[in-house]
Amino acid sequence: MNKQLVAMDMNITNSVEIDDFSLDYFIGANGWVRILREVGLSIGRGEVLGLVGESGCGKSSLAYNLLGYRAGNSRIPSGRLMVGQTDVGRLDRAALDKVRGRRVALVPQNPTTALSPHLRIRSQLAEVLVEHGYATETTAIEARLKELLFLVGLTDTDRILQSYPYELSGGQQQRIVIAMALSCDPEVLVLDEPTTGLDVTTQGQIVRLLAMLKRRIGLAMLYVTHDLNLLSQIADRVVVMYAGSVVETAPTATLFAAPGHPYTRGLIGSIPNIRQTARGGLRLQGILRRSEIGAGCPFAARCQYRQPLCEARHPESVAIAVKHDVACHFWRDLPAFDPVPERLDARRGAAGKGEVVLEVEHLAISYKRVELLGRWLGRTRQPVVKDVSLRVRRGEIVSLVGESGSGKSTIAKAITGMIDHVAGSVTYGGSVDLGMLRSRPVEVLREIQYVFQNPDESLNPRRTVGAALARPISRFRKGLSAGERQELIVEALREVQLDESYVHRYPGQLSGGERQRVAIARGLVAQPKLLLCDEILSALDVSVQAKVIDVLLDLKKQGEIAMLFISHDLSVVRAISDRVVVLYKGTIMEEGPTDAIYQPPYHPYTHMLLNAVPEPGRVSAEGEPAGEPPRLDPAGCVFANRCLWKKGTVCDSAVPPMRQAGDLRIRCHHDLATLSELATWQNGERQAGAR
Amino acid sequence: MTVTAVSPAISAPARLWSGFRSLPLAMRCGMAILALHVFVAMLGLLWTPYPYDAIGTGVGATGMSWQHPFGLDQLGRDVLSRVMYASHIVLYMGLLGTLFGMFFGTILGLLSALIGGWFDAILQRFFEAMISIPFLILGLIAISAAGPRLASNPTLIALVVGIVFLPRVARIARAAGLQVVTRDYVTAARLRGESYPAIVLQEVLPNCAGPLLVELALRAGYAPVLIGSFGFLGFGVRAPMPEWGLMLSENRDLIMITPITTIGPGLALATLVFGLNLFTDGLARYLDRAGLTTAR
Repeated sequence: MNKQLVAMDMNITNSVEIDDFSLDYFIGANGWVRILREVGLSIGRGEVLGLVGESGCGKSSLAYNLLGYRAGNSRIPSGRLMVGQTDVGRLDRAALDKVRGRRVALVPQNPTTALSPHLRIRSQLAEVLVEHGYATETTAIEARLKELLFLVGLTDTDRILQSYPYELSGGQQQRIVIAMALSCDPEVLVLDEPTTGLDVTTQGQIVRLLAMLKRRIGLAMLYVTHDLNLLSQIADRVVVMYAGSVVETAPTATLFAAPGHPYTRGLIGSIPNIRQTARGGLRLQGILRRSEIGAGCPFAARCQYRQPLCEARHPESVAIAVKHDVACHFWRDLPAFDPVPERLDARRGAAGKGEVVLEVEHLAISYKRVELLGRWLGRTRQPVVKDVSLRVRRGEIVSLVGESGSGKSTIAKAITGMIDHVAGSVTYGGSVDLGMLRSRPVEVLREIQYVFQNPDESLNPRRTVGAALARPISRFRKGLSAGERQELIVEALREVQLDESYVHRYPGQLSGGERQRVAIARGLVAQPKLLLCDEILSALDVSVQAKVIDVLLDLKKQGEIAMLFISHDLSVVRAISDRVVVLYKGTIMEEGPTDAIYQPPYHPYTHMLLNAVPEPGRVSAEGEPAGEPPRLDPAGCVFANRCLWKKGTVCDSAVPPMRQAGDLRIRCHHDLATLSELATWQNGERQAGAR
Repeated sequence: MTVTAVSPAISAPARLWSGFRSLPLAMRCGMAILALHVFVAMLGLLWTPYPYDAIGTGVGATGMSWQHPFGLDQLGRDVLSRVMYASHIVLYMGLLGTLFGMFFGTILGLLSALIGGWFDAILQRFFEAMISIPFLILGLIAISAAGPRLASNPTLIALVVGIVFLPRVARIARAAGLQVVTRDYVTAARLRGESYPAIVLQEVLPNCAGPLLVELALRAGYAPVLIGSFGFLGFGVRAPMPEWGLMLSENRDLIMITPITTIGPGLALATLVFGLNLFTDGLARYLDRAGLTTAR
C-alpha cells in the first residue's frame, strides 16, 4: 500500500495533522502514566472527523490538547499537533492566545455552564470579536453578531442578543455557543460531546445545523462523543480510540458496514437501536481498566479473539483498505462482521400477565402552593402533570418516555410519596391507597424501591458497598443474624453481576456502571415488588448500559418484580419494555404495547421523537423549525404549537380525544387511519430525499 | 465521627509517623505547642514548685528570680505554680465547653437542615436571637440563673461556654448539612422511612465531617479566651482557685511594678490560643487537600 504517497497528498490540504502524539500524566504514586500512545490522525478542510470511545479512553485529553490546553501535571514525550503549519503542543501562552478562538475553537459539552450567566448574549459574543481584533467598530461588531446568529439558525436576533443565557432554551444556548466558536472564522472546530444532555429532538436540530455549517463554511471539525450512532449522521470519517490508542480509522459508512477491530465491533454491537436490540454475541465484555493494560494490545483483556501474541506485542496500525486503518494483529483472521439482529421479543420475554401492582388514575400534580400575593395577582397553580393514568403488572416493565420537563420524574416522585398529588389516586397492590411518605406502612416502603439517575450521588461516599446494602436489610428485615445478613448482601451483589470483593470497597473506587449496579442491588435486597428506575442508564457508557439492561431483563424473567422505567432514550425503551407511555407536558400522548408504539399509527409527537433518534444508514428528516415555537393556546392540544401534522384550528381550540385501537391509545384530533397514512407518507418522502 | 482511611495496612507506627510528616507545617507546629500545654497541665496537677494557694512563699509583689521565675503576687503566692495548676482547669473547661457546644450544635443544626420547614424556621430564629445577645451578657445571665451555689463551679463555666457556642455551631452545621441533604443517598434513606436521627448519624454527619472538624478546632481556640474573659470580669472560678483570666485581673494592679506577674498567665493563654489556631489552620488546609471539606 502506498500509504506514504497518500499521506503526502493529504498534507497539502489538511487542517489538522496529529502525528505520533503521546501524552503522560503525573499521577501521585504511579509516577508518569501514559494517557495517549502514539496517536495519529488528520482532518482535511471541510471534513468532520468523529472521535469515539468509552469514558476514560483519552478522547477529551486529545481534544483539549488540540487547543493547547494541558493539565499542569502532563507532558508530551513525543509527537506533533499541527494546526495548519503551527505545532500547538509547543506554543507558549502568548502564542496560544493568538491560536485559540481565532484558529481553533471549542464547543464545550454543557452550554449552561459555558455561558456566563450575568452577561447579555451581545456582550459575550462581542467579547470574542474584540479580544481577537476581528472587529472593533461598533457597527462592524453588530453586523457580525447578526450574521453569526443567522448562521446558526437564530432569526430573532435583536431579542436574543439582548437576552441573558437563562432566558434561552438549551438548544438556543448551544447555538449561541456554536456561534461564539465560529465568530472569528476558525480553521478548526473542536466539539466535545456538544449534544449530550440535550433532548433527542434538540440534538437532532443541532446535528442538522452542524451538517449545514460543514457544507457552507467548510471548516474542519473534530467531533468527540461516545455516541457512535450520532456520528453516523455527521462524520465523514471516524477514529475509534481505546485506552489512549487509536484502534481503527475508517470512513463512517465503512466503519458501520465492515468494522475491522474487535473493539469497534463490540462497540457497534452494544448499541441498542430502535429497530433491534443489542446483538447478543458481539457485545463488549468487561470495562476499560487502565490498570489491566500491559505491554501488548490494550484491548487484549476484553477481546474474545485474544491470542498469546496480543498480550506480548502492541499491534501496529495497518491499512486494510483505502483510508481504513486497523491496529489489530489478527484483523485478517476475524470472522466476517455479520450483525444478526436478535429478535426483540426473544430477549424481552413475554409480557407479564400477573396482577396489577400499581394503578395510577387521573393523577394531577402541581408544584408549590401559590403565595397570597400571587393569588391577588391572579396566579394559579401550574399543573405539572394532568390526568395521567397507568398500570404496572407483576413481571412487566412499563416505560415512561418524553423530553425533559414532560413530568416523567414527577410522576415517579409522586408514586414514592416524596411529593403530594392534587387529584387522582395512586393505588398499590390493588387496595392500598398511597399517600405521602410519612403515612406509609413499613411493608409498603420495602416493596416500592427507587433507583436514582446519577450513580455518583445515590451512594454515600463515606460508606462501603457492604454498609450501603446493610441499611435496607436492618431496616426492613429485622431479626436476622450477622451471617444471614452477609449472605443476603453477597446474593444481591451476585444478582447484579458483582462479586463479594465489592463488599469492602467505597463508591469512589468503583466505576459509574458498578456504582449504578450497587444502587440497583440496594433496591433489590429489600425484595421489592415495584422498582422505579429514573433515567438509570443516561449517565453510563454503552457497554455498561448493556450490562445494566441485562440485569434488568434477568430480574424481569424471574417474573416477580414490576418495573416502571423512566427514560428519554427510545432505543433502550424499545429493548426492554412491555408497554410504553409517551408523555408531553404532563399529559399522556400515546400509550400501548411496545411494538404498537414503534409502528404506525404514531402520535405526531412520538413520530417526532422517533425521527430525531440518530441511526446509522438513515438520514434524519427535516424536523421542526428552529427557534421558539409559537405561543400555545391553553384551551387546545398541548402539542399544537410544535405539531408538524396539525389538523387545523381545532387543535388550538379543543382538547383532543383519546382514540383507541385494541391496546393502543393515542390522543389526537386526527383519527388513527389518518395518522397511519401521515406516517407512511412522511417516511416515503424521507426515503426519496435520502436518494 | 468516622473518617475511614482507605490506604492499605502498613505497620501502624510507621503509618502514623509518615502521616504526621505529610501534615502541613503549621499544623505540626500547632500540635507541638498543644502537646507542651497538655504536658504542663498534667505536670501541674501532680507537681508544682510551690502549692498553688500557699501564701507568703516569698516577698509579695516581686519580680523574676530563680526561685520564682514568674514572680510573686500581692499575697506572696508563686505565679508560676498558679499558672501551672490553672492549666488543667482551663483545658478542662475549654474542652468540655467546646465539646458540649459542638455536640448539641451539630445535632440540632443537621436536624434543622434535614427536617426543614417549620422546625428549621423556628429553630433558626431562636438561634439568631441567641446570637444577637453579646456573649458576655449571655454568659452573665446563665451564671446568675444557676444561682450562687454553683457560680464558681468549673463545670458550670464550661456549660456556659457550650451555650454560647451552640447556636454558632448549629448555623455552620446547618449550612454544611444543607449541601448534603439534597443528595440522592439521603433521599434513599428517607424513602426507606428511616428516622431523622438515624439519617443524620448514618448519612449526613459523615459527609459533613470536614467543615465540622475545622469548626471544632476553631471553637476550641475561642474557648480559652472566653473563659479568660469570664475570669477577668469575675464571673468565672473564684479565688483561691487559679485561672489565667482571673490571675490577670488579680495582678493587674502590679502591672507597673512587676509586669511579669501578668505576662506569665497572659503568655500561657496566648500560646494556647496560638497553638490551637495554628492547628486549625493546618487542619483546614489538610482536609481541603484530602477533599474532605467539600462533601461530595
